Amino acid sequence: MGEQRGGAMRLTPQPGEVIDRSATIDFSWNGRPFTGFAGDTIASALAAAGERVFSRSLKYHRPRGLLTASYHDPGCMVQVGDEPNVRGAHRLVSAGAAVTSQNTWPSLRLDLKAVNQFAAPVLTAGFYYKTFMRPRFAWPLYEAVLRRFVNGGRVSRDTPPSRQAKRFAHPDVLVAGGGPAGMAAALAAARAGASVLLVEEELHLGGHLRWGDEADLAALANLGAQVAAEPRIEVLTDAVVLGRYDGNWIAVLERRGDLGGAEAERLVKARAKTLVVAPGLIERPYVFAGNDLPGVMLSTAVRRLINLYAVKPGERAVVLSANPEGDAAVADLKRAGIQVLRVEDARLGGDIVMAAGRAGVRSVTVADGSQISCDLLVIAAGWTAPTSLLNMAGAVPAYSPRAARFLPDFAGLPPEVLATGGLAGDGSLDELTGHASAAGAEAARRAERVGRAWRQAMPGNRAAAVPAEGGAGSTDPSDDAKVLPDLPVDSHPELFAGRTNGFVDFSEDVTAKDLRAAVAEGFDSAELAKRFTTATMGPLQGKLESVNAAAVVADAIGTSIAETGTTTWRPPYVPVSLGALAGPAFEPVRYSPMQPWHEAHGAVPLQAGAWIRPDHYGDPAAEARNVRERVGLIDVTPIGKLDLRGPDVANLLNLLYVNKWSKLEIGRVRYGVMCAEDGVVLDDGVTGRLGEDHYLMSTTSSGAGAIWEWLENWLQTERPGWVVHVTPVTTAYASMNVAGPHTRTLMERVTEGVDLSNEAFPYMHVRTGRIAGVDDCVLWRIGFTGELSYELHVPASFGLHVWETLLDVGADLGAAAFGVEAQRILRLEKGHFIVGQDTDGLTKGFSAGLDWAIKLDKADFAGKPELAWQHEDASGPRLVGLQPTDGSVVPAEASLIMVGDHIAGRVTSSRMSPTLGRSVCLAQVEARLAEPGTEVTVRLPTGRLITALVTPDLAHVDPDGGRMRV
Amino acid sequence: MSDPLARSPIRPPEPVVVLSGWEVSGRRAAGQLTLTDCTPLAKVSLRADLAGPAASEVAVPFGRAHRNADGVLVVGSGPGEWLLIGPPGRARQIRASLDELVGEPLSVTDLTHGRALIRLTGERAADVLSAVCGVDLSDAVTPDGAAFRTAVAALATDVVRDDVAGVRSYLLHCERSSGQYLFDALMSAGRDLGIEIDGFQAQGF
Repeated sequence: MGEQRGGAMRLTPQPGEVIDRSATIDFSWNGRPFTGFAGDTIASALAAAGERVFSRSLKYHRPRGLLTASYHDPGCMVQVGDEPNVRGAHRLVSAGAAVTSQNTWPSLRLDLKAVNQFAAPVLTAGFYYKTFMRPRFAWPLYEAVLRRFVNGGRVSRDTPPSRQAKRFAHPDVLVAGGGPAGMAAALAAARAGASVLLVEEELHLGGHLRWGDEADLAALANLGAQVAAEPRIEVLTDAVVLGRYDGNWIAVLERRGDLGGAEAERLVKARAKTLVVAPGLIERPYVFAGNDLPGVMLSTAVRRLINLYAVKPGERAVVLSANPEGDAAVADLKRAGIQVLRVEDARLGGDIVMAAGRAGVRSVTVADGSQISCDLLVIAAGWTAPTSLLNMAGAVPAYSPRAARFLPDFAGLPPEVLATGGLAGDGSLDELTGHASAAGAEAARRAERVGRAWRQAMPGNRAAAVPAEGGAGSTDPSDDAKVLPDLPVDSHPELFAGRTNGFVDFSEDVTAKDLRAAVAEGFDSAELAKRFTTATMGPLQGKLESVNAAAVVADAIGTSIAETGTTTWRPPYVPVSLGALAGPAFEPVRYSPMQPWHEAHGAVPLQAGAWIRPDHYGDPAAEARNVRERVGLIDVTPIGKLDLRGPDVANLLNLLYVNKWSKLEIGRVRYGVMCAEDGVVLDDGVTGRLGEDHYLMSTTSSGAGAIWEWLENWLQTERPGWVVHVTPVTTAYASMNVAGPHTRTLMERVTEGVDLSNEAFPYMHVRTGRIAGVDDCVLWRIGFTGELSYELHVPASFGLHVWETLLDVGADLGAAAFGVEAQRILRLEKGHFIVGQDTDGLTKGFSAGLDWAIKLDKADFAGKPELAWQHEDASGPRLVGLQPTDGSVVPAEASLIMVGDHIAGRVTSSRMSPTLGRSVCLAQVEARLAEPGTEVTVRLPTGRLITALVTPDLAHVDPDGGRMRV
Repeated sequence: MSDPLARSPIRPPEPVVVLSGWEVSGRRAAGQLTLTDCTPLAKVSLRADLAGPAASEVAVPFGRAHRNADGVLVVGSGPGEWLLIGPPGRARQIRASLDELVGEPLSVTDLTHGRALIRLTGERAADVLSAVCGVDLSDAVTPDGAAFRTAVAALATDVVRDDVAGVRSYLLHCERSSGQYLFDALMSAGRDLGIEIDGFQAQGF
């Protein structure tokens, strides 16, 4: 009899129970307080208290109770706090949890949406293809109303973002399923020397042994102890294999309930050498009128409730049994003190015609026509084989009428996938674990072969590879198939759809009648009927419904289940949250050594690719003015820097730059532009010669990685005979540009070993020396900003030291930092183009103002043929400087240049110039507009038209460049 | 002008001390799963013909790492590419020893400042790394002395398995500017396992 403590339906302690009666847990259900024991699921705790209705169905809002009392129970999806779609028959109760039913209004008991039941004739499968469409003006109303009826939990916008983890694993053998067969296979594999990952969906290993009889519990304890003692087996419980992909790339979802909340899921990406599939069998419902009423349960549900949770599922039961598990359920019911009023034995012609009741089952009509009043109807109609992992491996299972289920196609499996346990056949526990042991040992043997083949292909490891002599038997693939014993296949009555119309898909509210109607409308295959009715498309993805659906469709078409087949099993095996799939956000971030100084001085950060750069420090125009009038310092560390050494460097430069590099003296620097083979401008930078065969190349910041690859690609694939060593040193140097009239004064205070006079160290030269006490610094005299400037490359670890020293020592000279925005202004004043800003993916060399640089008389270089053609056909666009007639107007970048209605170009760069006190621009224009003095029309984004003049030079300030060469 | 102070891209947690001219953390971990910023170590890159006389003299194949007679860890990072790692301040000496190698042409480049270098040590070091790295870390595939270049937390990283006194340990290095990101990713991956920062100590490398 039930005890009052622990709930009205709680039984006395059961031998295999998983609850801890010494630890009570309080929680609420739809606002009412309840108490369960540690180890209870939400459903078992509520069932113990007498609750029978847990949800309302999708379409008709029919009351639903427990059907399977497992993860896959369609009647028990609840909301826990802010977490929707929780499987109430799998999730353990937790202290203080606020559990509510989903999609019920105003309450679970009185759900007004149950009005849908009266609308059932209109709401048949596929109704939304035919109804609620006209009149069209009413569609917003339909949408608003229908939205209220959509099932599913509530997602709160206040839920803190989750922090998902991922993990990579490389087990020799992955065993999917931790029942007796899975455990036996894992043990055999581990004992043969393999590393094993054993994945079990439930919270404990053991499968059906857990709710079995004394012998089952003893076998469970024995196997469990062996697994625990085996160091080579890693066990993941509350974890499920989501899918098997090519090469045994396997996704495992670990639900780490112990971490709770945000980190509750982890995706394990496993590359297993072999996979053993041992998922057991899933019990299948029977289709008849009233089969979805609360109180109609499968035999496994009843046995779980009684044996695992000590919960009485009802008081007065009728049972349909077609197999020994059904008979065992009858024994459990009697042991629990439940009245078993009738056992309909399907093997002897017994049957359930229909069940009746409103909020729960009240009476059952059986085969001989008698009507029995009861509160519990137990169904043991048969088993479905969850073959999906085998299907994903390419082996389509075949239906066996004798067994009334699908069986694996062993011959079609790839060698690295094996199947065992109930999935593979029937037999005694010893026969099944015997088969599983053989499968596990075989899996280990094949894994060793696979591992050896993989290691053979790896460089550098041959000396260290452990040549495992373990693993008995030959490694010849042709011996693979012969090793496993055969399992018997018991006969089982075929019970799918009964005599009356009932639910096939409980989650989608699809009945047998819906499926028959679909076939009648022409959707006469498993695939078509599925898509039209949505049967098997719910959260269970066909586990409880696909075979019944196949049976109904086959019957309606007039063929057999074998011919109809089921729909394709695809990953994921169970629904998985997007957060688990996304995992942690790996977004590398790059910082310069001077970053702490920028942060401390109020730099506004600019995200440039993966780099964080200082955009400005509060007033970019003032920063620019300070460079023109005194001296400024900018952190340009992200500039690409490539150390080039070898006898063929000059050849490489000639090949990849459009200009000439054969006669660059040591100590000199030259500006170069690279074009791709289509003549499009790829990158620009300066390259200096530091020694006989030693050069330092700089690239744009965003092109640093791409140009490194460009160089390596040419060297390795096109010129493998050349000897050039390319070493990226972009971040080995902290780079800073010191610019302005007072630059030389400042540099003389901190530099040793370099004569900084203009005669000794002219513009476009390079020197090395000591700066602020730091050796091995490289100094270029170049000028992006148009002022006297030196670009310093300091060994990066000393970058912050040198930066701070320069600002400190130069304080009286007005030394101040300037950011990327100020540099943009300064370079625009000088007309220096930026690749990717003033050029785009179609801009060839002659359209970037590079006529002076492109040396078509060179023998060959990347892009030469296209550039030669462009040169001949002089009609392409040109880069020009532009000054709006009204200097106070700063056109937005990408403003169009119009000739009437025709687009003749665009503004590529545009700023207010602090030096000139007016706006200055660069633009791409059609050749006919490129003559200096031409007036063009610019269309601002507002639609307003302004005029602008093409300038004589690209540079708006100091076009002769005198300021840089002092 | 103050004396030059070298800094790693990885911020040292308190207490901050100066060791061999580098700003490092003086923290000592209590547990045995640790992460140490080893950026101060000298690092010199060597490029030479992968089948030439210099390669034979260096005698460390691609994919392996080995300490030479001077206690310098020679890593076969790529075909014809080696990285030599030694105690702080020894870069010049290492470069000089390489200049004596026969076989032209060679490139010897000081990357002491260009690489961030991190050591991950502990029995469960592989569990930490397997959260952010897809390479098989088993003894059969990457035993002590294995060197490989891969992606760690989506960042191109070189990894060397370099066990310390029989305890599993990995040296990870990446281009300098991503050093803080790599360090943070490893700390995050090891959080549940109780990973701690251990400050750099020059001896015992």
